Formats: sequence, C-alpha cells, structure tokens
Amino acid sequence: MNDIVMAASVILILIGMTAAIINRDPFDKLISLSILIAGVFPFIVDRGFLDVAIATALIAPLSTIFTLMVCRRVKE
Amino acid sequence: MTTELYSPEFVIGLVVLIVGTISVAFPRDKDYLTRLINLEIPGWGLLLVMLHYNEALALFTFAAMSVLSTYIFVRIMQKKEGI
Amino acid sequence: MIAIYVCAVIAVYAALRVIAERNTMRKLPFLNVISFAVTAIIALLLPNPITIIAAAAYFVGSTLESNAIASTWAGGIKKP
Repeated sequence: MNDIVMAASVILILIGMTAAIINRDPFDKLISLSILIAGVFPFIVDRGFLDVAIATALIAPLSTIFTLMVCRRVKE
Repeated sequence: MTTELYSPEFVIGLVVLIVGTISVAFPRDKDYLTRLINLEIPGWGLLLVMLHYNEALALFTFAAMSVLSTYIFVRIMQKKEGI
Repeated sequence: MIAIYVCAVIAVYAALRVIAERNTMRKLPFLNVISFAVTAIIALLLPNPITIIAAAAYFVGSTLESNAIASTWAGGIKKP
C-alpha cells in the first residue's frame, strides 16, 4: 500500500474513534462509527482478503440497523 | 506465520482496542445505549489486530459473531427497559 | 496513480468536514462522500478483477447504513 493511502486510512480511523467517543448524541456516534468502518476496509483489501471484505461489508450495516432499533425508541 | 513484527494495522489496531476498551468501561453517559455503541469500537480494533495473523476463517467467524452479539444485546435492552 | 491520491485527500477532507459540522442532518452528505472515496480506494488498490465486487459490496452496504440512519432520524423527530 502507498504511504499516502495508508496515512489517509489511519487518519480516518483516528478521527472516527475520537469523534465516536466524544459525541453524546447516539446518531452522531453512529455516523462517527461509520467513518471508523470506512477507515478499516482499505487495510482488509490490502492484505488480499477480498472474500472477507465482501462478507464484512455486507454484514456490518446489520449491526448499525440493530442498534437503530433501540435508538429510535429512546429518542421519542 | 507472521512475516514482519510490527505491521501498521497491528499497531493501529492495538491503539483502537485499548482506547475503545477504556471508553466502554468509563463512558461519558452511564447509559446502556452509549455502552453498546462504544462496544463496537474495540470490536473493529480486534478485527484489525486479527488481520495481522493472516487467518481468513477467524475473520469470517468474528464478523458474524459480532453482529449476532449486537442483536442479543438489543433484545436484552428491549426486555429490560420495557420498550 | 494520481487518482488514488486524489481519493485519499477527498476522504480526509470529508472526514474533517463531518466532525466540524454541528447539525446531524448536514453530516450525512459528507458521510456519503467518504463512502464514495473509500469505494474508489478499494477499487484502485489492487490489480485484481474481484476487487470491483468488493467495492460494489462496500458501496451497497454503506449506502444502506447511511439511509437507515437518515430514515430513523427523520422519523424520530416528527413522532413526538
């Protein structure tokens, strides 16, 4: 992997982690968690695990949708 | 099995794992939902650490079990809070 | 080789715009920008024909996640 792309992925992971911890609104935390997941995927593809990348990309939104099932009920 | 000693995803995975675990143990709001969302941060950090060891089947199993445990926690929260 | 650098710079810029934005609804277009940029990074990273399927899978998953967040946010505000 190039140094610039790897630096961009590391910056995405650190920004997502920091914002997910600092924010207090649940929707802001989920958006920041999505930034962290976006930073993880270039590392998986760079290792050559394309099947793991396909499976994880299709499974990871289910976790967010399950969390949103609680999130809507708390807000109202 | 491991070619190099410190690959970049190993180091950044350990950082995410440790900081995420501290954030789960001591969150800003003492709430179930905050802890559940913070619990996904060390999960992705652990996936980055496991990526260093070149085992594809372990990554499959961990990704599936993470979503299943999230669903079980959501059901427990819905039963406990009565919503 | 310049295309993947442009995509990396766009992803970092959009991430900085997301954490600088205060309103929750205005964060979602920049989240979509991050999704597009990471999709392009995945597609351009390896010279392998299966890579485009992984990029398509990530694109579908990220768009579904963003739409779920936006739909729940819009439904939760109007309810009370």
